[in-house]
Amino acid sequence: MTVREFILDRLERILFHIALLLVIAAFLLMTGTQSGIVTLLLIACLLIYLLALLTDYWRTKKQLNELQAIMNELDQRYLFTECAPKPHDLYERKLFDLLRLSGKSMIESVSDARAAGKEYREYVEQWVHEIKTPITAAKLVCENIDSDTRRKLSQELEQIDAHVERALFYARSENPEKDFIIRKTVLTTICDRAIQTHRTLLIQNGVRVETENLDEIVYTDGKWVTFMIGQLLQNAARYRSAEPVIMMSAKKLGRQVQLTVQDNGIGIPAHELTRVFDRGFTGRNGRNRGGSTGMGLYLCKRLADAMEIGLQMQSTVGKGTCVTLTFPAEMNLSKM
Amino acid sequence: MQTIMIVEDDPVIREELTFLLENENYQVLPVTDFETLPEQVRSATPDLVLLDLGLPGRDGLSLCAAIRKIAPIIVVTSRTSALDELRALNLGSDDYVTKPYNIPVLLARIKAVLRRNGSESAEADILKAAGLTLSLTKGTVTAAGQTAELTRNELKILAHLMAHTGEIVSRGDLIEALWDSQIYIDDNTLSVNVTRLRNKLEGLGMPDVIKTRRGMGYQL
Repeated sequence: MTVREFILDRLERILFHIALLLVIAAFLLMTGTQSGIVTLLLIACLLIYLLALLTDYWRTKKQLNELQAIMNELDQRYLFTECAPKPHDLYERKLFDLLRLSGKSMIESVSDARAAGKEYREYVEQWVHEIKTPITAAKLVCENIDSDTRRKLSQELEQIDAHVERALFYARSENPEKDFIIRKTVLTTICDRAIQTHRTLLIQNGVRVETENLDEIVYTDGKWVTFMIGQLLQNAARYRSAEPVIMMSAKKLGRQVQLTVQDNGIGIPAHELTRVFDRGFTGRNGRNRGGSTGMGLYLCKRLADAMEIGLQMQSTVGKGTCVTLTFPAEMNLSKM
Repeated sequence: MQTIMIVEDDPVIREELTFLLENENYQVLPVTDFETLPEQVRSATPDLVLLDLGLPGRDGLSLCAAIRKIAPIIVVTSRTSALDELRALNLGSDDYVTKPYNIPVLLARIKAVLRRNGSESAEADILKAAGLTLSLTKGTVTAAGQTAELTRNELKILAHLMAHTGEIVSRGDLIEALWDSQIYIDDNTLSVNVTRLRNKLEGLGMPDVIKTRRGMGYQL
């Protein structure tokens, strides 16, 4: 609140008071009071009035600042009316009560929506766990039949599996802090798990994977990173060149460790690079090829953010794509 | 022969897994009565128990705790939260596999746990077949008194062929076998490696020891 705002707000009242004083002064002059006395009286009244106005200004300013401070400290700002002190004057009190009622109904809506979201998420997780049993059974049945059908079927099953896995991680990434555990892990283990998980897809697409210096130690949740690298491997196999090669390597950057996953695939146009981590963004490659959901990299980004892993992508059309994951140093993880 | 006990409530998975593991030359004990599981494990003393955590009406984790002193356990589950995993490993399972598992991955894990627990005879270091002697630790192949050094890829290829002497090994199977050993190669690289391997063997006076069966694969 500025002085100007305050004066404009009180302007009507100030003008009324001044007019009143002038009327009284005129009346006194007309009834024969000496003009000197009237002037003195006027000055005294105006001084007192100014003092009162200043006090009013300071008090209002202080109260507003207090309210602002309460608002700033609140995590959930819609709880403001529950925390703010009740005002004194009648109009404000009534308004405050009405606002509080409105706030209450808002809080109810919010908590209803939260509960619904939570229930839905739990159902998705539950469903994912349940669907895994029949997928496993189908994979095993598949393993014991003739090789041509097996190849085709297992490819489809891998796809189903990948979609289900994404659904699960999507549900989890809603409140990620609940579901990851930071542990000391060797990158070799993580990369090997990711490769083995997607080996059917990779082998059938004739992909060669080269690994280099993966014996670096990182502090992270292995399962989540395995999922992230899995998404990168799937993309590399999906948008491959004629002779696909994926190169995975790691290096130390001070106290951080950087993992690079580089492919020689068809690449991503420069103007699309900024949007690849957006939800549902499929780009030209995705549209041309079909079957792209635009969820894989979006989830990677969300999980990476939650674990404080830096995720960057460079790409040249016709040359390939390079994704780097920068793992935080151990000491920086304490706040999680 | 090693014995693997399968504790799994889904009948299709149980049957197919039994079939699969029998094909891999394990003796398989599928369990259908989960009430007396610890007793069954005690009397059968399997070399490994594949334990599904999601048994109906039973707490898989407490079963895990009850069995672990008797036999090594691989926990199989569709629950994949970090907490579940930690709990299973803390309770003393030897490994943790999540559904839906990759069959080659599952088989590799089974092998690894069996090897760790010493119930599998350590993989032979020296392989002999078709006049060749292969030393896995030295990475050399010897024939008629001459020795040649092999690269890691060549070594694995030759070892796999020698382990299946006389059989036709398809290129697909060979690639799968190499991927099992963390060598992630493609078809072309396989061809290049086989050619190099053949040249080395020729240098030892063993030309044509690896035959190409057109459209089928290689044969030693």
